[in-house]
Amino acid sequence: MADTSEHTGKRPADTRNTGPGRLLIAVYAIFAISATARAGYQILTKFSEAPLAYLLSAFAAVVYVVATVSLAKAGRTWFKVSLVAVLVELVGVIVVGALSLFDPVQFPHETVWSAFGRGYAFVPFILPILGLIWLYRRRPAAPAA
Amino acid sequence: MDAYFYIILGVGLLSTLICVAAGIMKKAPNDITILSVAAVELALLVYLVGSIVRVIAGEHIAGEAWEFWGYLATALLLPVAAVYWSILERTRWSNFVLAAVGVTALVMAARMNQIWY
Repeated sequence: MADTSEHTGKRPADTRNTGPGRLLIAVYAIFAISATARAGYQILTKFSEAPLAYLLSAFAAVVYVVATVSLAKAGRTWFKVSLVAVLVELVGVIVVGALSLFDPVQFPHETVWSAFGRGYAFVPFILPILGLIWLYRRRPAAPAA
Repeated sequence: MDAYFYIILGVGLLSTLICVAAGIMKKAPNDITILSVAAVELALLVYLVGSIVRVIAGEHIAGEAWEFWGYLATALLLPVAAVYWSILERTRWSNFVLAAVGVTALVMAARMNQIWY
């Protein structure tokens, strides 16, 4: 379809940092900071106690940082980055949550995602779901193929 | 849990309630919500000054000292960051951002108490 709307200027809708997105980014930022600080602390002081759990903590921290930054940025590429980060987060919280319940030997130490984020009032579990809803509602228009 | 925690618990919860209510009422951040967050900052500053005085007086932090100060420093930055972020976009959603400060501060204060004792 040869319509001209794609040439009529920038689409202001291709951002995710306004309205509810601001709250989402703020909560992600809090988790990015706390997860980074916690993982850094765990790795620096007691890494040998549970290397796997603490590496997971660090991984979770990276995911939160990427999600925070990408949600705050406009454009299609950052949308994709956000989508990947939020999906990884969702898979992570489900897999780690399940493993921490079924295999407490491998996961004896707390991470952000242990027991589906119970230590953080299950916010780590709710956050990616809200994130996906928000990304869906603010998805970029399909490219004119 | 000491008095500092209970001060932040009270001020933090009150601030969160005020900000959530303002958000639900579709108000943009106003003097009341921003001042409630400022009150959280003030409570944290009281905690900071009190803690410095206690350390100088010879009290010992049971946990890692730098972890305690790290939490406190981060907590002190949160209200400032949230207010700045809420001024950039004056919509009801910014009130929910402000609301996040109170609960976060109280969780962090609880953790700081655990480290101290």
